[in-house]
Amino acid sequence: MAYLVTFHWGWLLASVLLGLAMGWIAVVHRGQGVSKAAARWLSVLVAALVAAALARVVPARAGYWLDLGLIMFGCYLAGCAVGSWLRAWALARSKPAP
Amino acid sequence: MHRLFRWSSKWWPGLIPLLAFWVIAAWTNTAPVEADLSARSTAALKDAVLDKTAIAVAGRDVNLAADAFSEAGRHGAVASVEAVAGVRLVNDETRLVPEAKPFVWSAERDVVRVALGGNAPLPASKGKLTDAAHTALGGVEVVDQMNLARGAPPRFEDAALLLIDQIGKLKEGKIAISDTKVTLSGMARDLGGREAIAAALKNLPAGFSVATNEVKAPPYVFQAYKDPVALTLTLSGYVPDSAVHATIGQAAARKFFSEKVVDNLKTSVGAPSGFAAAVVPALGALSRLSTGTLVVSDREVKLSGDALYEAAAAQIRSGLGKDFPQGFQFKADISVKPAAAPVDPSVCQQLFSDLLGKGKISFESGRATIDPDSAGLLDRLVEIALRCPTSNIEVAGHTDSDGEDAANQALSEKRAQAVVDYLVKAGLPATRFTAVGYGSTQPVAGNDSEEGKAQNRRIEFLVR
Repeated sequence: MAYLVTFHWGWLLASVLLGLAMGWIAVVHRGQGVSKAAARWLSVLVAALVAAALARVVPARAGYWLDLGLIMFGCYLAGCAVGSWLRAWALARSKPAP
Repeated sequence: MHRLFRWSSKWWPGLIPLLAFWVIAAWTNTAPVEADLSARSTAALKDAVLDKTAIAVAGRDVNLAADAFSEAGRHGAVASVEAVAGVRLVNDETRLVPEAKPFVWSAERDVVRVALGGNAPLPASKGKLTDAAHTALGGVEVVDQMNLARGAPPRFEDAALLLIDQIGKLKEGKIAISDTKVTLSGMARDLGGREAIAAALKNLPAGFSVATNEVKAPPYVFQAYKDPVALTLTLSGYVPDSAVHATIGQAAARKFFSEKVVDNLKTSVGAPSGFAAAVVPALGALSRLSTGTLVVSDREVKLSGDALYEAAAAQIRSGLGKDFPQGFQFKADISVKPAAAPVDPSVCQQLFSDLLGKGKISFESGRATIDPDSAGLLDRLVEIALRCPTSNIEVAGHTDSDGEDAANQALSEKRAQAVVDYLVKAGLPATRFTAVGYGSTQPVAGNDSEEGKAQNRRIEFLVR
């Protein structure tokens, strides 16, 4: 884990920034969100991938790519969460409570 | 928290660029990650004792193939690669080096190179043995054909190093270890090399023993050349020690009364047993030749040259082999010198007197047995007698004044008769010779000194 982070820190930073941006937009985005059922399926899929990564069942290069993808995805999610929260906080300040 | 779920349903569009990032990151980083892990895994195994190590990295998984020399070494190698940061899995394809039974090692030398073969217990000992061979053999090419194997006897390396020192003493040959048995064969480089190797083998580490030692030494050669023109006897080759050297020198001086002895002998170990006991009679035979060469090579005695007359040649051919110690072989290539032209009786007398002036017929003390050292002189006397076939010769015996007159008289007669017998045996007609004894009645010097007495004890040839 530590090795993956130090070796790919540029890409992880890019993922975080992408997440920040996406999170910032998501708060005011008016488009269609993911349905609850789809979200559940996606969660199950991610959980399965994480389990596969932790169990190290995926061999060789595919295993490395899975680890890398999951870490980038984690960074993206973290960026999204921080970005959305920041945007919500900024909106709350600019629009004082009536 | 509820708001976070609401927002998160709209985070999905970012997944599309994230997917692109992931593909690019995987595309560009796979090779560097693999190279980095490979380099650090190799570094982690730097001090591990392994052979045929092969590291292949796929993603973050390391395939480790290697030959280890013990179970502990095998597990240690896997553990050190597992400990490398970033390595996800280690596929253990290590195995133990095969065990050799029997554990065989060899060093084989031919003229231009030395080949080290068989088994070595560790890569380090393989290198050490090869280096030792380079050092011990100077400029000779060393070929390393050793395989690695387990099962070496304790202190194998010490034994092999000692044997590598010995291979330097061989011209060609093979030294091998099979478990704890050492076998040697081949030809030593120098005289004494065989003995030096045998001595060094006593220092083999405990537990090792010599099964067979068939190292041969180059022939131990002794040569003597009698040159009738320069009147020299040239001795060359080897003698085992200074005592034998002195014995041979004295024997040569006694037997070759008119020749100058040129002594080019060198001392060296490695002589066959009974060396002096063979060389001394062989020199006696050489002294009977007009010209000749004696070569003693190990236990083979070769005598070639010209005898002074036919009977002498026959006596040398048949008689000499009997004098040699057990195991010696005798090869004679004796021809007969062409007879010299006949001369007048007066010239004959002159020749006899000249010859007996240079050398004396000697006998065993107080007895009438001719000393074998006088054979050369007697043969020359026979040769002269053959040159004046018509004249009769009186062989006169004289003694010094020690002892009773009657005894001296008898002794001088017997000694003169012994000489006549020798001449007759040489093929001369007995009728030509008369043996006369004069006791001590005709001294040629004073009997008051040892020197004078020695001069008085004599045999004279008088042509009548």
